[in-house]
Order: sequence, then structure tokens, then C-alpha cells
Amino acid sequence: MTLLELERVGRRHRQDRHERVVLRDVTLALDAGELVAVWGLRRSGRSTLLRVAAGIERADAGVVRFAGRDLAGGGEGALGGGIGYCRRGLGGMEGRDALDELLVAQLARGTPQSAARSCAFWALERTGAQGCAACSPRELDTAEAVRVTIARALVLEPSLLVLDEPTAGVDLLARDGILSLLRSLADEGIAVLIATGEAAALSGADRALSLAEGELRGSAAPVLAPVLALRHRASA
Amino acid sequence: MRSPLNWALLGLVIQRPSYGYELVQRFERTYADAIELSSPSQIYAALDALRRRSLVEELTVGETLEAVRQPKPHYRATAEGVHGYQEWLIAHLGDERRRSRLFACQLAALAPPVALAVIERYEQACLLQARGARLTDADRHPPDSAGELADRLVGEQDRLAMGARLQWIEYARRELRAATHDRAARR
Repeated sequence: MTLLELERVGRRHRQDRHERVVLRDVTLALDAGELVAVWGLRRSGRSTLLRVAAGIERADAGVVRFAGRDLAGGGEGALGGGIGYCRRGLGGMEGRDALDELLVAQLARGTPQSAARSCAFWALERTGAQGCAACSPRELDTAEAVRVTIARALVLEPSLLVLDEPTAGVDLLARDGILSLLRSLADEGIAVLIATGEAAALSGADRALSLAEGELRGSAAPVLAPVLALRHRASA
Repeated sequence: MRSPLNWALLGLVIQRPSYGYELVQRFERTYADAIELSSPSQIYAALDALRRRSLVEELTVGETLEAVRQPKPHYRATAEGVHGYQEWLIAHLGDERRRSRLFACQLAALAPPVALAVIERYEQACLLQARGARLTDADRHPPDSAGELADRLVGEQDRLAMGARLQWIEYARRELRAATHDRAARR
């Protein structure tokens, strides 16, 4: 089932009197349980694509649907309603430590304290960040920060996870651990959309696409296995 | 000595002394994806070439591990062979540049719009290859064999090289687009 649909999406950024086309006629569909990676250089439009897909930024043209719902409204309200968005780093962290950070996200939604605590510990363990519960943002290395960010998104039970450069600045030896984590989340049924400037982060994806000057290239929709007619087994 | 097969075989002998038939088997196991062996006799011919250049030598009877009536001739690398192999590995760097130059020259021979179409297809092939790259085990246990170590080294080299290739594709696309516009403007 198609979870996320972008149909002929266009986006322009205006600065003073200048205008720049950031996304041109972008069409993309994601199924539940799919891991899709978009490769692009800086200023290719990759972060804007993610923000539009997550409903944080409004598209100037085209349609963005999540679970059949039009995300045209935009705003942070689009998050928490099934979409988890992980930007680079732990910027804007509200809590004193990683555990607190995961609690804040849930308590703000009215989750009882005890339920929020057990869910936070589950998410930290699921992402391999159980050792980071009492760490402040400054104490986390880049890979740990990424894991905590994913845990922060997981406590809100997303069906779509959107990550901007999840392996940027991550040590080569720790990089595949994060990619394996994303792969396993997709295998559990979460749709995962990542943007990256590193070709290595495309490993393990169901589809890899490229974005340059706002144009998306590659398979815009899931590649389905061919339907083969069943043959009757010849009787012995 | 230019034959990649000879150098690859020398690498196996450096790894551990072996006899002819065992080298054929090890060669097929190790280099199956990289060098095609048309016949086992290629290995014997390569061994002969390495021996004539004093890069490998035959172990004497007392040095072989086997205590049998008709011991098979085992080969080991000479100091010259080990040194030559290391030098060749480094000199090998030029091959990559030659391959890249060949590809760029062949691409430039096409009219820019046609070359652009080729670049698009090349990019899709690269993306397909990039997503198919194997992830290393999450627990990062140290490689327990030379084969596994080689797999990891090759895998990482391929992934890093792919990053450079995708960036180059983007650069080539911009250059080809500029050339296409330039030609159109001159008409």
C-alpha cells in the first residue's frame, strides 16, 4: 500500500528579490516497509524534499499525500501524526539528557509518565542507544546522536521515518550499524526515506534515487515483482 | 611483468606456500569475480613465469610439509617476489586513471545530447550498484580470514569510489548541458 505520495511537486525558495527553483516536478511514492535513499550534492534540494515529504514545508505546486491525507497544510503539526522526522544532529534538544529528550516528546502528547518511561527505554534499546540514556547532548558522539534522534522519533510510533543525512559525520566503522538499523526498521514495516550526500549510505536501500538541481531521477515508485501465472502441477 | 594473473598468483603464494593444483583451486576461490581462468594450465604457465623471474622458488624436499613418497613441488615467494608484489600494488594506481580516461574519451566522442543520455543510464547503473553493496555486520567482529578481510576492503573501496563517481556524473552532466546549450546558441 502506498503510504507517501508526492505528485509533480515543485518548490521555490525566495531570498530578497532572488528566487531559486529547489524542486521541479518531483514525483515519488513510498510503500510501507520500504527503504528509499535519495543521493544528492549540497544545494541539490535533498533537505527540502524531505521537509516537504514530512509535511514541514509546503510545496508550491503539486500534491503531497501521506496515508491518503493531503499534507498541503504544512507546519510542525504534520509531525507526530505518523511521520517521524530526524534532522542532522540533536539541535533543538529540549531535555537534559537522552532519556529526558524522549520523555519530553511523549509527555507533550499527553502520554502518562510511567508509560513514557518504558517506551523511552524500549526505543533507546531498539536503536542500540541504551548506554546513552543519561548522556547530555554534548557527551554523545555523532553516531550516538543519530541513534538517539531515531529513538526520539520512534517513541511517537511513526509509520514513516524521514532522515536527513543519517550518516553524515559518522565514523566509517559505525556507519553500517546505523544503516542496518534503518534497514531493520523498514523490515518491520516502517517506511524509511533518507537523503544523503554519501554513496555509501545507499547500501541496503530498496530504491536509490538521485536529486540534482531539484530534479529527481530513478524509480519514482516501488518496483513490484512480476506477477507469474501459477501452473498446475502435472499429475503423476 | 604485466599480466594481472601472474601478480594475483604471486599474492596467493606470498599468503602461503602451495603446490600447483592447490593454487588453481585457491585462485578460483579468491579471484572468481575478478580474473577469469580459461584453463588450469594458465596457473602452471604463470608459476613458470614467476619462477623464471626469481619471484617464486620451489621448496626443497626437507622444507615441504608433506612426508609422502612423491611430494608435489611446493612454491614460496622469494624476498624479491614479496618486494616486487608490494611495488606493483602501488604502481597499479595508474590503471584506474587509465580506465577513467578511456571512459571519458569515449563519452566525449558522442554528441553532447547523446552523451547526456548515456550519463543518465550510467548514473542509474551506479545507483543500482550502490544500493546493492553489502552492509558489514553490526557487531563488527574482526575479519577471521584473508578472504573476509579482502571482501571488506574491496567493499569499502567500492562504496567510497562510488561517491566520487556520482559526484563526477553530476559534474559531467553540467558540462554536457553547457556544451549542448552552447552548440544550440551557435546555430
